[in-house]
Amino acid sequence: MIIAERKPIEEIRLMMAPYKKILVAGCGTCVTVCWVGGEKEVGILASELRLARGAEGRELVTLEATVDRQCEKEMLAELRDKISDVEAVVSLACGAGVQTMAELFEDKPVFPAVNTTFIGMPEGEGLWVEMCGACGDCFLDRTGGICPVVRCAKGLLNGPCGGTRRGGKCEIDAEKDCAWVLIYRRLERQGRLDLMREYRAPKNYRAVKRPGRVQAAKA
Amino acid sequence: METKVGVFFCNCGGAIKNIDFDAALREVARLPGVISVNLDSSLCLEEGKERMVSSIRDEKMERVVVAGCSPLLKEHIFQGILEKAGLNKHLLSMANIREQCSWVHDGDVTAKAVDLVRMAINRVLLLQPVETKETAVSKEVLVAGSGFAALNVALQLSHLGLRTTVMEEGPVLRAGSEEPAAVYGVDASSIIAEVEANENVEVLTSARVMTLEGKVGGFGVRIKKAGKETFRRYGAIVLATGHRTEIVNPGAEAGASVVSQKAFTDILRNSSLEREPRTVGFILDFSDENSRFPTLATLNSALAAKKKWGSEIYVFYKSVKVDSEGVERLYQQARDSGVVFVKSETAPKIGVEDGRVKVEGRDVFAGEDLVLACDVLVAEELYLPAEGTETFSSLLNVRTDPKGFWQDDNVHLYPVGSEKKGIFFVGGCRGDLDPGRMLADISGVAMNIGELLSAGKVAADFERVKADPQKCVACLTCIRVCPHGAIQLVRVESSKDVAQISDLACDACGVCAAVCPAKAIAFQGYRDEEILAQIEAIKRS
Amino acid sequence: MNGKIVAFCCENSAYPAADLAGKLGLHYSENLRIIRVPCAGRVDVIHILKALENGAAGVLVLGCEEGACRHITGNTRAKERVEYSSMLLREINLDGRVVAMFNLSPNAPHKFVKAVNDIGNITAEPGR
Repeated sequence: MIIAERKPIEEIRLMMAPYKKILVAGCGTCVTVCWVGGEKEVGILASELRLARGAEGRELVTLEATVDRQCEKEMLAELRDKISDVEAVVSLACGAGVQTMAELFEDKPVFPAVNTTFIGMPEGEGLWVEMCGACGDCFLDRTGGICPVVRCAKGLLNGPCGGTRRGGKCEIDAEKDCAWVLIYRRLERQGRLDLMREYRAPKNYRAVKRPGRVQAAKA
Repeated sequence: METKVGVFFCNCGGAIKNIDFDAALREVARLPGVISVNLDSSLCLEEGKERMVSSIRDEKMERVVVAGCSPLLKEHIFQGILEKAGLNKHLLSMANIREQCSWVHDGDVTAKAVDLVRMAINRVLLLQPVETKETAVSKEVLVAGSGFAALNVALQLSHLGLRTTVMEEGPVLRAGSEEPAAVYGVDASSIIAEVEANENVEVLTSARVMTLEGKVGGFGVRIKKAGKETFRRYGAIVLATGHRTEIVNPGAEAGASVVSQKAFTDILRNSSLEREPRTVGFILDFSDENSRFPTLATLNSALAAKKKWGSEIYVFYKSVKVDSEGVERLYQQARDSGVVFVKSETAPKIGVEDGRVKVEGRDVFAGEDLVLACDVLVAEELYLPAEGTETFSSLLNVRTDPKGFWQDDNVHLYPVGSEKKGIFFVGGCRGDLDPGRMLADISGVAMNIGELLSAGKVAADFERVKADPQKCVACLTCIRVCPHGAIQLVRVESSKDVAQISDLACDACGVCAAVCPAKAIAFQGYRDEEILAQIEAIKRS
Repeated sequence: MNGKIVAFCCENSAYPAADLAGKLGLHYSENLRIIRVPCAGRVDVIHILKALENGAAGVLVLGCEEGACRHITGNTRAKERVEYSSMLLREINLDGRVVAMFNLSPNAPHKFVKAVNDIGNITAEPGR
């Protein structure tokens, strides 16, 4: 899912410096799962902001709310009353959520409290790693289910680069596994090593014209 | 309509002296929700208890606060009183105005006492009833392993009316055959026959656990035997996976005359020896402090060798671990029979000279170097967890200690329990034990399981800790984090998965409630609002 | 709640230690308010922050000794959360030392009193 990380508090405080009454809004999907923007984090951020203001001797009133998905206008609709009651919104959702919120409530400034980073999965407790770069031209079928675009430091399509370190580590970043070693081993395990000899033509990185737009077939 | 709270103060027979109870009662009576304030001198004694039951009933109280001694002492008594008066026992909150107020401050502490009562009232107003429900449990127990400890616990369980499955990976039961129980002074001769004759004990050999799911009372185990897999349900699991020993490498040249403890017992039993060893050496306790079993083996074998061959016997040791039952006596016996014990700081050097094993060590007490030529040397052994324990640990998701044995050195767990309710350990797989303690552990485990499963059902708080299916986003955090493995993912609608906490396996710690990023878990009695209410009640001075 | 110290006490260690302090007649500041929890691992960052928002001068979280938590990881999680809370306070230019974690066994009432005194000293520093 989408992974985000919390912004430095100073950035958030600067954003909301002129405001005395704000809504701290969480999202119940991706950012909840990666521990950054769910109901729990909303409470903690709101409390921290109040403590900071209090120490300055200034006032801050915070409303708190978390919806299932901030990128759905219907789900944001329930916040209408709270939004009309505040001067600005601090959203802990990913960029999609922040922008949907901003679009629905055009009169109120909506500020991002997290940095949206990548599409990924959990690798350990509290640790998320990037898996997919949303390139729009997926060829995971030919790489044993491992994406070299994101997981190879050089983004090679016909790897490895020849600089792989001992132990199968990346030439650029010794902490990283060489993605092409991983791909080789996976294909070997599945008896599909012939794919390693296959030449992949340069990728069309504009397969998705940004901003992307997808129309699914009618329901 | 406001919830009706009754407050009972106790002055503990006059032991609480520095609180102005009149003033306290007056102030508390004014607080929102409080319909009644009472002062007693002995709430926990018979008459006090009866007065309390009557008051609760007569005044139709819906929540109760008791201000007096520590809840750790008397909470269960007051919970009983609530039940007797017709209230759910969870609708009680206590204010510790004795140990944590009156007894630790000088001067008048009325203000603090009232503060503590206010905190308890704020909390009690939010408390919800929690029911007790009975869950049916399986009365069958799985014992993994087939050594002496495994068979012993299986027999004890069968005597308690529980059917046991003894499961062994190898083709034969280990007790008495592979395992040198005799060397440790344990008589395993009749136990296999007993087990085979017992109708309540099922024996599965060449069988392995493939997967484990579920919780205490109903563990689901997939067992593979002879290429076929079967699914069985067990109320409890006993791990008796045993240990292994490894010779501490003495040096390659020493060859076949350097033997393990087990090999030495085989030599002892072999009546067709070419030549009886004239001199026997033992090495003990230099590499590993966990040497109770090796010590026992050494003493038993040394005495046996002395008796059978009359050989000269030398034991090179760093320490002789005699802290097990009967071992000090055994040590004395060995010395009295002429076994020589040589204390050294470091392990002696082992080599070969003239076809015999040469042992060079330094005798600490004599302050002299000692060179021994012997016919057989019993090498030092490390006491280690059985092969495959690590893999098994991952499969079961039960922790091992830093040495790889099952039991962590945690004082809060039963001596024989794991962090997962319903999974127990016995025998050598628990690490540095001795036969006396091992037998005590086996009885302990059998009793624990007997208590748990004999009735065929177990009463537990119903949904005291619960993940709200509406709020749960199935992030899996609580499932991964629960120290007792009490939570699993369960499908509630056609495609919605949510976390479900097992009432039987839950140990009510609240770690899940704290980590949940969606605030979906309600832990009755310790919900966020119940904790925050206490904080908010503290008076700003 | 000015000057008050809120102490979250786990019922397997600090709560009985505090009781024992009472039985032994040990003394500590009247400003202490104890909140009982089943495990230090129940205490979360929000409880600590809200205690400070409500005017507490300091917050203590007390749990079992390392390696002796009945719930295995409760005390280590509590420690991480206390450290995180300190970091949050420092981030907004407040004193991170007013929140602290202590480990003790249930039979260590002197350790309990020391923890209370230590945090009391920090919160009583002039200029706070």
